[in-house]
Amino acid sequence: MAARAFTKGLLGFRHVGAAKVKFSINGQHFATASSIKSPEIQIQSFTEKVPNPPLEKHDHFRLSELFTLKDLFDARVHLGHKKGCRHRLMEPYLYNSSLDYDILDLDKTEEHLRLALNVTAQTAYRGGIILFVSRRRQFCHLVETTAKECGEYAHTRYWQGGLLTNAHIQYGQGVRLPDLIIFLSTLNNVFQQHVAIRDAAKMNIPTIGVVDSNCNPSSITYPVPGNDDTPVAMELYCRLFKMSINRAKDKRRQMELLQGLSEPSSSSS
Amino acid sequence: MAALCKLRFGVRSAVRFSPSISIRTSFSSDCDDGARPGSGFAAAFQRQAELQREADGDQSGSIPGQEQTFASLFKEAPIRDNVVVGRIFHVVRDDLYIDYGGKFHCVCRRPAAGGERLQRGSRVRLKILDPELTARFLGAKTDTTLLEAQGILLGPLEGREVQKRGQNQKQE
Repeated sequence: MAARAFTKGLLGFRHVGAAKVKFSINGQHFATASSIKSPEIQIQSFTEKVPNPPLEKHDHFRLSELFTLKDLFDARVHLGHKKGCRHRLMEPYLYNSSLDYDILDLDKTEEHLRLALNVTAQTAYRGGIILFVSRRRQFCHLVETTAKECGEYAHTRYWQGGLLTNAHIQYGQGVRLPDLIIFLSTLNNVFQQHVAIRDAAKMNIPTIGVVDSNCNPSSITYPVPGNDDTPVAMELYCRLFKMSINRAKDKRRQMELLQGLSEPSSSSS
Repeated sequence: MAALCKLRFGVRSAVRFSPSISIRTSFSSDCDDGARPGSGFAAAFQRQAELQREADGDQSGSIPGQEQTFASLFKEAPIRDNVVVGRIFHVVRDDLYIDYGGKFHCVCRRPAAGGERLQRGSRVRLKILDPELTARFLGAKTDTTLLEAQGILLGPLEGREVQKRGQNQKQE
C-alpha cells in the first residue's frame, strides 16, 4: 500500500479529466467530442500553430556539440564485461580486441547516442512525458535527481507488474502514459532484463536504453551501447539527457513566447 | 533566454568564420603567381587571420574531436597483474572501496599497519589480480559477475611521491 502510494508520488501521472487539451498535442486521437467550447478551440489552434521542428532534420537542437568522442572515452563508456558474459546480439557493437574483457566501439556508440538525444529533445519539445527507469541501487538517487532537475519523471524502485499494461485499472480511467522511456540500465539486479522493456513494447511506447555488453538490445527502439556500471559513465548519460531535455523545453518556451507576441494581433483581426 | 543567447552566439561564430575565409580566397586570386604577399598590410593581415583561425580551431573542441576515431584513442593495455594507482571513494569501517580507473571498483581490507591514514580521497597503490570477478556455474548460459575487481593493496602513494621530490632536489 505504502509502496504503491510512493510509486504514484514518484511517477506523478497526470490524471487528465479534461482530456481534450492534452490529446490535441498528439493530434490524432481526438475527434469524437461533439460540443467543443470556444475557448478550448483557441487553445488548440494556439498550440498547433507553434511549428514543430521537422523530424527529417537530424540535429535541430545541435545536441552533437554536447559531447565528443573524447568525453565518452574519458567517462569509460567503452568498457564492457568479460567475454564470458557477452550477449550474442551485442557483437555488432563490439570492437575487436584481444583483452579478456569486451570493448564497445565508441564510433557506433557516438552515432546511437546522438540519435537517442535527438529523439529525447524532439519528444520534450512536443510536450511529451519522459520516464527514466533504472534498477541499479547504486545510481537510484542520481537518476531521481536528474529527472527532478529537468522536470520529468523517474522510476527506480520495484516495478509492479501492471504499471503500464494495467494502468487504466490501477490508476483510473484516462491516465496518460509516458511518451518515451529511457533506461539507464536495462537489467534489474538479478541480471534479468527489466520488465518495463517488454511492457513498453506492448504499449507502443518508444524506448531508449543504455545497453552494456551483457544486455539484450533487441526490444529497445534506440539502443545506446555503453557502460552502465561505472559512476562516471552514468553521470555523463544523466547530464546529457538532462541538458537535451532542458534545451528542447527552453526552445519550446521561446517559440511559444514568439507566437504569443503575434497571436493576439491575428485573433483580434 | 538561454536558448536565444545560444542561437545568437552560433550565428556570430558562423559570421566570424566566413569573412576570414572569403578574404583569404580574394587574396589568393589577386596574387596570380600563387606567392604570398611579401610585405605591407596584406602580409600582416594574412598572418593575423591565420593566427585567429588557429586560435579558434583550438578553442572549438568539436571539430578536431570529430576527426578522432575510437581506434586512435584506444590502446590495448592488459590490466591483469599490473600495479596501478587508485583513489578511495568510500569507506565502510574496515573495507576500502578503491577506484583505479577501470570499469569496476576494488574492495580491500584496511591494512593493520598505517591503516588509519587511509581515508576517503587518499591515493593508494594496488596490484590488480582480476578486473572483474566472474565465474561460469554449472547449467548457466553466461558467466555470473560480482561487479567488482580483485586487487591487493600495496600501500599508500605518499612514500613514492616523497622519494620523487627528493630525487628532483638532488638533480637540481
